Amino acid sequence: MKVLLVDDEQKFALMLSKRLELRGFMAQVFFSGEKALDAVEAGNRFDVAVLDVKMPGISGLELRRQLSALDPEMKFVFLTGHGSGTDHETGRIMAEECLPKPLKIEQLIETLNRLIPGV
Amino acid sequence: MKHTNTTFGYDALAHFGRVNASISHELKNVMAIISETAGLLGDLSDMASSGTPVAPDMLSDCTKSIVEEIQRGFAVIRQMNRFSHSIDHPVESVNLMDVLDLSINLSTYLSFAGTTTIAESDGQPPVVATCPFLLQAIIYQTLVYTFKHTGNNADVTVGVNASDEEKGWKIVFSGFSLNGFQVFPDPLLQTMAESIGVTIKCDSTADWLELIVPSAIDESALLDGGNIG
Repeated sequence: MKVLLVDDEQKFALMLSKRLELRGFMAQVFFSGEKALDAVEAGNRFDVAVLDVKMPGISGLELRRQLSALDPEMKFVFLTGHGSGTDHETGRIMAEECLPKPLKIEQLIETLNRLIPGV
Repeated sequence: MKHTNTTFGYDALAHFGRVNASISHELKNVMAIISETAGLLGDLSDMASSGTPVAPDMLSDCTKSIVEEIQRGFAVIRQMNRFSHSIDHPVESVNLMDVLDLSINLSTYLSFAGTTTIAESDGQPPVVATCPFLLQAIIYQTLVYTFKHTGNNADVTVGVNASDEEKGWKIVFSGFSLNGFQVFPDPLLQTMAESIGVTIKCDSTADWLELIVPSAIDESALLDGGNIG
């Protein structure tokens, strides 16, 4: 499974990508929505995008809208550090799942496998 | 000078809430990094237990990252503590450079924050008797406006100079365009500033913005019979 991981917290994104790779996922990390869009526009294809909700520049929600336009098959998971119900509700409306930070890796893996079964 | 009762009531609480929300988000990011790094150490430990070689520099990178994030967390908590204590006294003597430093540090936790530099101050220390919490809120909101209108590449310089016209000090913001500052200050910020005698001046044609802070305010005018809010 190819995972597009976008988070402006670089250390978090890099650690998470390593943990995903140890579990057999192919994770590509971008620290901004703009760079992620460039990669998808250049033809790179991903099964699922794991997006931080709040980022400088393009937000996670806006990034989801633009990525969906480029690849309607792409699935999405939001990660949020906010405790407000708004973020979780927004995540549920806009995407398949919204997970809180700090993350439980097992919860993310279970979500990814549920979104893209058998990959 | 207006009484601060209504200003020091809900609106001040709202500012307190907003800033604490941004602090908690920052601390959550710190915890998230420590959590993932600890998780990765656990994964590497499992690999080693099953006989898979683990590069030593992966382990040292992880521990170094955890130490750095713990230090970052302590730094955030220090600012949270400073912010919490800024409300201890309705009026006290403060060095404007310290208030600026706190406001700027707090503003860095915003996702849309740009860069802010404090220009060195010459001459005598800019000490004023004011309401530290409200002054810090005014400076913070001014920075929020500059970031929102300039974007993440904002590079703001803030300096403190003696005020020519009035007894007090000028906090001068520069390094950004005032184009788009359609409503500044907004009525809430204007009321907050008036309550402690701060004058907000901006010139969109010349791209400067100043907060003129009086050297002292009347504490009895600030409080209403000893009660605040």
